[in-house]
Amino acid sequence: MSSISTSGLTRSFGPVLAVDHLSLDFPASGVMGLVGPNGSGKSTLIRLLLGLVRPTEGTATVLGNPISAPAAYADKVGALIESPAFVPGLSAHRNLLSLARLRGLSASRVDEVLTMVGLAGRQTEPVKNFSLGMKQRLGIAAALLSDPQLLILDEPTNGLDPAGIVEIRGLLRSLGQDGRTVVVSSHLLTEIEAACDYIVVIRFGTLLFTGPIGDLVARTRAHIDIRAEHDADTDRLARAIIAAGWDVTNAEGTLRVVAEPTRAAGINRAAAHAGVTLSSLVVVQDSLEDIFLAMTGETDGELAAARSGQGREVA
Amino acid sequence: MTLNVVRSELVRLRRPRMLVAWFGLMALFAVMINTVMFSTVGNGQALPPGAPGVVFPDAATLSTSHGLVSGLAAASSMFGVVTLSFWAVAAATDYSSGLIRLLVAAHPHRWRLLLGKAIALVIVTAVATFVALVVNVLVAVPAAKQAGISTTAWGTDVLPTLAAAWLNSFAALCVWGFLGLALAVLTRSSAVAISVGVGYVLVVESVIKMAASHSSDWLLGSTLTALANGGNTALTYPAAAALGLAYVVAGLLLATVVFTRRDVTD
Repeated sequence: MSSISTSGLTRSFGPVLAVDHLSLDFPASGVMGLVGPNGSGKSTLIRLLLGLVRPTEGTATVLGNPISAPAAYADKVGALIESPAFVPGLSAHRNLLSLARLRGLSASRVDEVLTMVGLAGRQTEPVKNFSLGMKQRLGIAAALLSDPQLLILDEPTNGLDPAGIVEIRGLLRSLGQDGRTVVVSSHLLTEIEAACDYIVVIRFGTLLFTGPIGDLVARTRAHIDIRAEHDADTDRLARAIIAAGWDVTNAEGTLRVVAEPTRAAGINRAAAHAGVTLSSLVVVQDSLEDIFLAMTGETDGELAAARSGQGREVA
Repeated sequence: MTLNVVRSELVRLRRPRMLVAWFGLMALFAVMINTVMFSTVGNGQALPPGAPGVVFPDAATLSTSHGLVSGLAAASSMFGVVTLSFWAVAAATDYSSGLIRLLVAAHPHRWRLLLGKAIALVIVTAVATFVALVVNVLVAVPAAKQAGISTTAWGTDVLPTLAAAWLNSFAALCVWGFLGLALAVLTRSSAVAISVGVGYVLVVESVIKMAASHSSDWLLGSTLTALANGGNTALTYPAAAALGLAYVVAGLLLATVVFTRRDVTD
């Protein structure tokens, strides 16, 4: 059974479609990544799943229950939605105690989750004195209070230092291995790549990719950058490579050859046959980030232009 | 389930600064009104004009057993403004802090969230009213003696008098509070809610009263003044209580409809 399943899920805010006929399924356990650029509809999707906003059309289920009845699964779901939200004047412990009382949980559970996120020694301090990273840890602790079957975390490592990121990543992985579903929303693909088994990529509220993260990695391509020892030989080298059957682009003296890494020896031979000595031959593998950018757009400006150009407004 | 919401709200409401400010303002106004009221009436000066601001009784009324608690009723609008403000702050802070996201996600029965918050605030309001009553009693006796007002009758039926004064003030303050809660839910801003609530009762309603004095006795400010006084010449106590209850029901109904239907986007 899917932990989360949506079918034609749509939500518009005035003329803007935040989530656009989205149909997807999250597996029942593991750490899942929800990725998309800013404004791609990740937060709206999370709010729809938690019953905070209602869909314009379409349906969805969370742990087998329709999102029209969020009370049926609220006890089994923990969430960190956008930035952590707490009463600044109250201590970390009392903030969590308030949320524990709301869920009918004991005060001892508060101590447990504070220990899990590494805030046990700071629990009596007012939240207003906390750094962003500490607030983030407290937000994760709040999400863990009910020992949820489904954990939804929006940008969970935001504000954490590198050691904190590694620590929280380890926590998320261990939670995902316990049979729960952990959904991590982020616009940082490197973070998702490091923590998740499964990935959903959305843009403008539509699905671009869904599947195991290995499937997305398999989409990455490689090319080979070569450079002639003498710049005067560059054109001759390019002609030789093209004659051998490869596509070549010239980037300020470095020739980019579209070829698999296994073709490096053949390229070297073609250069030698043309009487050109190579000063360098480098196999370059596209990163997951390159794939992501190719799917979602390179810049915010590009995204905005694409959004307006694609007629994204509701008629 | 609603009990969980009340317990959760009480944890958040037990913020030392907030409670000190709330109870402190109630105590301050109790001191101020008793000092000014007994001084003014004792000196035989002209009394301030009628509600919905401050209404002073005459010296004869202050000399009765009711004189001990006259300050509470006289300054009911001032206490009401304080109560409206803190109810509005307590409700609107959930929106401004983003806490409303966690609350609704954890407890999707939104009407219960609202009801639980209201019950918790009613409990704190009961304590705040008690603080005002105690300070009122402590200040009234020396203030009356200083002003030459007889306190001979104040020794009779003390407990029933105090109980009635607390109950009437508490009932009126709860209506003020529900007004603040409803406005905060509607506007999602404590500043706007307080401005609208206080502006209406102290400015708009005063203008309406000046324009049509007798036909405006049922308006909110006048109703709550009558309720805090245990009834007056304009409205009997049962009528004031019924109207107050109607205002509470209307405000809570409106807030519930808006809160349950509106998206949580804060």
